[in-house]
Amino acid sequence: MGIKKFVNDVTDVLGLKNFDEQKKKKAIKKLLKKLEKKREDVERQLANHPKDKVSKELADELELIHYQIKKGKKLLAKLEKDKK
Amino acid sequence: MFKKLFLPSILLVLAYGFWVSANFKEIAAGVAIFLFGMMVLGEGFKAFSGGALERVLQASTSNLGKSTLFGFVTTALMQSSSLVSVLTISFLGAGLIQLVQGIGIIYGANIGTTTGAWLMAGFGLKVKISAYAMPMLVFGVILTFQKSKNLKGLGYILTGLGFLFLGIHYMKEGFEAFKNAIDLTQFAVGGFKGLLIFIGIGILATVVMQSSHATIILVITALSVGQITYENGLALTIGANIGTTITAVIGSLSSNVDGKRLAGAHFIFNITTAIIAIILIKPIMLIVGSIGDFLGIANDNYTLRLAVFDSFFKVMGVVIMVPFTGKLVKFLETYIKPANSVTTEDGVNISVEKNRYLNNSVLEMPQTAMRALIKETQHLYDNAFEIIVHGLNLKRSNILSSMPIEEVIKDNYTDEPIDIDTFYQKKIKSLYGEIIDFSTKAQSDMREDDIKLLYKVKLANRDIVEAVKDTKHLQKNLEVYLNDSNEYIKAEYEKIRKNLIELLRAISGILTMQEETGIVLSLSKIKLATKKNDIILNGGLDKLVRNDLITNEMATSLMNDSAYANDIAKHLISMAEIIAILSNDEVRILDDYVTEEGEDFDLLVNKGA
Repeated sequence: MGIKKFVNDVTDVLGLKNFDEQKKKKAIKKLLKKLEKKREDVERQLANHPKDKVSKELADELELIHYQIKKGKKLLAKLEKDKK
Repeated sequence: MFKKLFLPSILLVLAYGFWVSANFKEIAAGVAIFLFGMMVLGEGFKAFSGGALERVLQASTSNLGKSTLFGFVTTALMQSSSLVSVLTISFLGAGLIQLVQGIGIIYGANIGTTTGAWLMAGFGLKVKISAYAMPMLVFGVILTFQKSKNLKGLGYILTGLGFLFLGIHYMKEGFEAFKNAIDLTQFAVGGFKGLLIFIGIGILATVVMQSSHATIILVITALSVGQITYENGLALTIGANIGTTITAVIGSLSSNVDGKRLAGAHFIFNITTAIIAIILIKPIMLIVGSIGDFLGIANDNYTLRLAVFDSFFKVMGVVIMVPFTGKLVKFLETYIKPANSVTTEDGVNISVEKNRYLNNSVLEMPQTAMRALIKETQHLYDNAFEIIVHGLNLKRSNILSSMPIEEVIKDNYTDEPIDIDTFYQKKIKSLYGEIIDFSTKAQSDMREDDIKLLYKVKLANRDIVEAVKDTKHLQKNLEVYLNDSNEYIKAEYEKIRKNLIELLRAISGILTMQEETGIVLSLSKIKLATKKNDIILNGGLDKLVRNDLITNEMATSLMNDSAYANDIAKHLISMAEIIAILSNDEVRILDDYVTEEGEDFDLLVNKGA
């Protein structure tokens, strides 16, 4: 076995080939986790808040969080698909 | 004139020396190889800068004592105080350490250089050093061919050390052969006159070789074969310490204020120490003799005694200077200030703001250069922020406070509009030019990935400048319509101001945020707000015109100015995105996730419309 082939096999076995993509996937998963937590917090605040200017801001923020979660999930799915 | 003649004179003297003496040629070649080794060694350590080395530097320089220790250890390891000084300047520039800690590192680095004298006197002269040089060169060169940055760095370090050892070997051989042909001690001069003459020679040799380390190694080699007297050797060592400050001062002339202050500290420290050593040379020699006896160094072992002198002399300097470090910092900060005056195209002399973080000495260290550029971009943004805020006739402190927006817009900055052109000349133009110049120079030492990031930094700077220019256009009508009797047009311009206040506040938050969720959400929020605030897109302008609430002239102005406000927002958002991506590793991985919006974004925009 040539050195090049050996190095390729080792990196393949260790899953180092798509290192950057792995890192990105991990970062998106971490971000999604944080966004989900944020969503729960904002939903809780919104439920306990009377309808006023602040509740409108909370609703807007919630909308953005939903949008970011959706965007993150889409990108994650795309990365998974590219891997296959 | 002197500068022009200096190099040819040195070359002529050397050529003459080579012609008359083959041994001199060997010594000079040894010095050249030694200096080349130092350069290669420095190159090797640079490969590790931006990573572990800088993290250690940050963690180990929290006070004067720690930074002195750090300077000592790193210089002892790298055998180059110049490289440590360059790193110190870059950290000062990046605001990671204060001047007092920087001076501490210089104190330590000065003591650290004495390890070279000890190694040479204790090891280099006794062991056949060239035996180590050859394998080091072979292994080192092989490693420099490797792709891995760390292996390459290690290769340079080994090659550098190999050349250092080889250089020492040639110097030693040359002096030994020289000894049989000519006895240099016949030129020895005793007494105070001799002290001054040899200090002068030490200064000159160090200025020519650009390294006190090389001078001291040369002195020890010459001393080991009895080609100079011990007393003259001491004088040469003092001279080398003065000479190194001259090279540092010359090197700092092209550097920024931090480099100049540090070179100033180095100069004052070494000159003070040298003057004290000249005055107290006799008692110092007695103390050095006692230390030598205490350490069991033979009376005729002048090389080790010179190493003792070198260490004592430098430690003494640090002990004397430490109590005055606070005063030294104050002195340097008072007398070395950034140069800040240029003549404009109209021939008017105005004071301009110069860069704070860019230093040519860090150009060869891509990571450090990149960090300096990011910091400088933030500096440019701070200046632009001031101009934009004042251009909107608002107060900076109000924007940065939690004051309700309704109150912020009532509290005007001045009665008369500010002259944005003058502000631009003073706070943007020159600084922007320096950033672009620095990035262009830095690019040549960067890898492809870094060049891509550098391109983004340039874009961020362009965005800042464009935002300022848009503010200038917006300012003209803003002043007119904010005082107009038509309530509708007045309200629209107030709305533009309010939207920009919200944007500026959000951007200030993003630039100081650490947590990626906050950055992602804030960026998304301001992008959404900018789209929604577009008066053409949201139909606001149509409504005003259709209902004859504003004149056609007002409508045209509002349409243009709304576009300017929108452009300011877009440029600043783009800049904030780039800075957030470059300053935060977590956000950097999410690069395209942060910058690109999905199709659902337009749904969000239209939802509130």
